[in-house]
Amino acid sequence: MKNTFDEKILEEAFDWVKSNQKVVLVTVIQTWGSSPRQTGSRMIVNEKGDFSGSVSGGCVESSVIRECIELIKKDKPFKKLEFKVSNEKAWDIGLACGGELAVYLEQIKS
Amino acid sequence: MKINTLEKIIKNKQNKNEFAIVTNLSTGETELFKRNTLIAKNLEKYLNQINDFFRLKKNGVIEGTEIFVETYRKPIKVIVVGAVHIAQYFANFAKNLNFEILIIDPRGYFVSNQRFPDVKIINKWPEEAFKEIETNENTALIALTHDPKIDDPALQHALKKKFYYIGALGSKKTHENRCQRLKEGGFSDKQVNLIHGPIGIKLGGRSAPEIALSIIAQLVSETYKNND
Repeated sequence: MKNTFDEKILEEAFDWVKSNQKVVLVTVIQTWGSSPRQTGSRMIVNEKGDFSGSVSGGCVESSVIRECIELIKKDKPFKKLEFKVSNEKAWDIGLACGGELAVYLEQIKS
Repeated sequence: MKINTLEKIIKNKQNKNEFAIVTNLSTGETELFKRNTLIAKNLEKYLNQINDFFRLKKNGVIEGTEIFVETYRKPIKVIVVGAVHIAQYFANFAKNLNFEILIIDPRGYFVSNQRFPDVKIINKWPEEAFKEIETNENTALIALTHDPKIDDPALQHALKKKFYYIGALGSKKTHENRCQRLKEGGFSDKQVNLIHGPIGIKLGGRSAPEIALSIIAQLVSETYKNND
């Protein structure tokens, strides 16, 4: 499809790094079912948990932010995460929409 | 991702290049793939799949690999005729969307950069301006001067080149007169009916930002309708 949007998350990521923040770039790399955000959607997270952009409709962002902070703490370069609907965790990180998605976390390094 | 790779990506976006970000998910390495240029050795074997992603206008993981491809295509060109008040709000709303905006207006006072920071403005009559702009079926025209001297030549060009979206500002009466002139100029009923006039979806508002919003809404809607 023709896409008419440009969320400028990469530009924002660059500004964050330039202002000495540690930044993890998160990208939706695969989706199944009725996931709300398309493959290629992005968000960024810093060491304090400030974030911008989205990878779902608010369903998994909190969990992604925790993972990003961990990644920075342990100084790991990247990590792949998958989210599925699961009953016992539905309140926490399940997707209310019934979709599934995989995201890729990567630290931006100089 | 390295910060200098990120910087290169942003430059490519700014220059409206066609390119892909290719990430090896198992090593974290990122390569930039530019269409129609020499390809890095390690990406050669994925050339067909990367081109498929461009053709299908998609992003995703190449099947059976750990290679993620995100494609950037040329944005849709939107030509606004008339550097008027509505155009200022239009350009501002459009910043968050993936359009390449060009404004044409032959009137000197209207085209100041102070009114339109970061927007390409051509201070010429439409006939002259269109000589330096490549247009095709993926181009949109928004005519906002409601002055036949300026709007009409632009509308004629857009109809001839089969722009996928053509909109013209003006009341029903203004639009009827406009259609009449175009028909007298040799355009068929069918062609003239392709013009969205009065422009925009019905929101009810009459202020400049509200009209700009109604035009943006119609443009995006027609962009997805014209799906390919």
